[in-house]
Amino acid sequence: MNAAGYAMRCGVRRGRIEFMNSVRAGQDIAYYVIVSVVLLVVLWLNRNGTVPGTDVSVAAFMLPGLLALQIAFAGAFGVATVLATEREDGTLLRLKAVPYGTVGYVSGQLTRVLLEIAFSMVLVLVPAAFFVPGLMADGFWAALGAVGYLILGLFAVLPLGFIIGSVFKNPRSVGGWGMLVMGAVVWVSGIFSPLATMATWVQILGQLTPTYWLGLGLRSTLLPESAVVAEIGGSWRTLLTIGVLLIWAIGGLILAPMLLRRMARRESGSSVAARREKALQRV
Amino acid sequence: MASHTLEQTAVVEVTDLRMRYGTNDVLHGVGFTINRGEVLVLLGPNGAGKTTTIEILEGFRLPSAGNVSVLGENPATADEQWRARIGVVLQSWRDHGRWRVWELLDHLGSFYVPYSEPHRPRPYPTDELIETVGLTEHRNKKVSALSGGQRRRLDVAIGIVGRPELLFLDEPTAGFDPAARRDFHDLVHRLSDLQDTTILLTTHDLDEAEKLADRILILNHGRIVADGSAEELAQAVAGTAEVRWTQDGQRQVHATPDPTAFVRELFDQERTAAGPFGVIRDLEVQRPSLESTYLTMVAQEQESDR
Repeated sequence: MNAAGYAMRCGVRRGRIEFMNSVRAGQDIAYYVIVSVVLLVVLWLNRNGTVPGTDVSVAAFMLPGLLALQIAFAGAFGVATVLATEREDGTLLRLKAVPYGTVGYVSGQLTRVLLEIAFSMVLVLVPAAFFVPGLMADGFWAALGAVGYLILGLFAVLPLGFIIGSVFKNPRSVGGWGMLVMGAVVWVSGIFSPLATMATWVQILGQLTPTYWLGLGLRSTLLPESAVVAEIGGSWRTLLTIGVLLIWAIGGLILAPMLLRRMARRESGSSVAARREKALQRV
Repeated sequence: MASHTLEQTAVVEVTDLRMRYGTNDVLHGVGFTINRGEVLVLLGPNGAGKTTTIEILEGFRLPSAGNVSVLGENPATADEQWRARIGVVLQSWRDHGRWRVWELLDHLGSFYVPYSEPHRPRPYPTDELIETVGLTEHRNKKVSALSGGQRRRLDVAIGIVGRPELLFLDEPTAGFDPAARRDFHDLVHRLSDLQDTTILLTTHDLDEAEKLADRILILNHGRIVADGSAEELAQAVAGTAEVRWTQDGQRQVHATPDPTAFVRELFDQERTAAGPFGVIRDLEVQRPSLESTYLTMVAQEQESDR
């Protein structure tokens, strides 16, 4: 195996260790649990109503959107925060100083995000299966399709994470501005109410986001066929969904390494030291 | 004979290195070489250009002009194969705080596995290295739970885990207490004895430079103002040996390039007892210390800047 491939494998181990460190940390566990409980409460409160004009429960309609939301938060907002933090504290520089360390860093991030998403989805899906009617009506193949969309969706939102994470200089501005961007994305991507019922300009904005398409794709696999009437144009637009997500993913796979390289190139001991000085002054 | 030529192999060669940030020149044509197995200390006041120089050699910063060769390659364009042969000791702050000591060292070491060579197996066995830097009893501690000195030892361990041929340390003992500093000096001595590791270290601490260096470069305002061993540097500042003595109850001081000749003359005069000379007491000859040499050189340089 060549050295870059070997580094990628070191990165996978890195991702596993980071995930386990996170699961062992009380702070992170509290975050996972609180987010899951909030999502479950929202589903629980909506378990009885149906989407107007269909026999699909509101909870069932919302669930795929919430999964898309989790992907967007872990893949974009989460990655952006981690990237900005680890640039500031010298983690990125540490990896840059070892051979093919940045390759290992990227594969580590991917592994960590995948494990994190799988973990947080289990926390929501398992309890939800008990009270959300009509979930996974089509059984195994539907579930497989959903997993496919989730992975494609993750790769579609990751570039957002890398862009936000490398544009902003420190984790505190990611927290502020990044949250604002994420809030806007969530609002226009039709997660809580069908995009078809919203104003035209919101529909246009929403269809520019990867989260809308991810939610649509997930609904097409997880909801009964009759739910399609709640969608724009009364269609699942399956090919278009896959196409849009692929474009985001491919764009990201091209752009993310470029941004990371640019970011890593500027790292040196003195730039980390300068940021340390600044951060310590603030405290 | 063969080993002699090996000793003289240049690991680092720098000629006419220049660095400019905007309109501010930080390095004005710096040039030096580091030979294999040598411990070279780059000494200078804050802002002299030490960090900029070391970061250019590490390949973390692009110079404005000049030729730099590190292990036979230009750091700006060198590949990961080259990266595997050098070690950089970084000042940790709070990175990898949740990792355990053993886990982190083992992980960062694993990147060097494809670069192992028969005469230089890479990486260092993790347990052995942890023992070398004296962290055995802290091996399962979280990095965030280490004290400043322990963290620094971990930084050194990470820097050498790939068994580097050339090791860079930038201000390694900044913020150390005296005991931690002494431990660290011992560690550097052991490292330079191990497998002919060449070491480049920056400091603004004279005492440290004198203790560790085979050779010292004094950098001031982006120029090399001196290059040699501590003794050579002291001799380079000629005419500064001081002879002090007491005569007729009066303290006398005389600066001379040749204290031996001066003292001989002094005693001759005492013996002939001509003129105002009385009995000589409390004779002292003081060779310039590295400190006074350094201050003289930095002062001369600042003088010529004006």
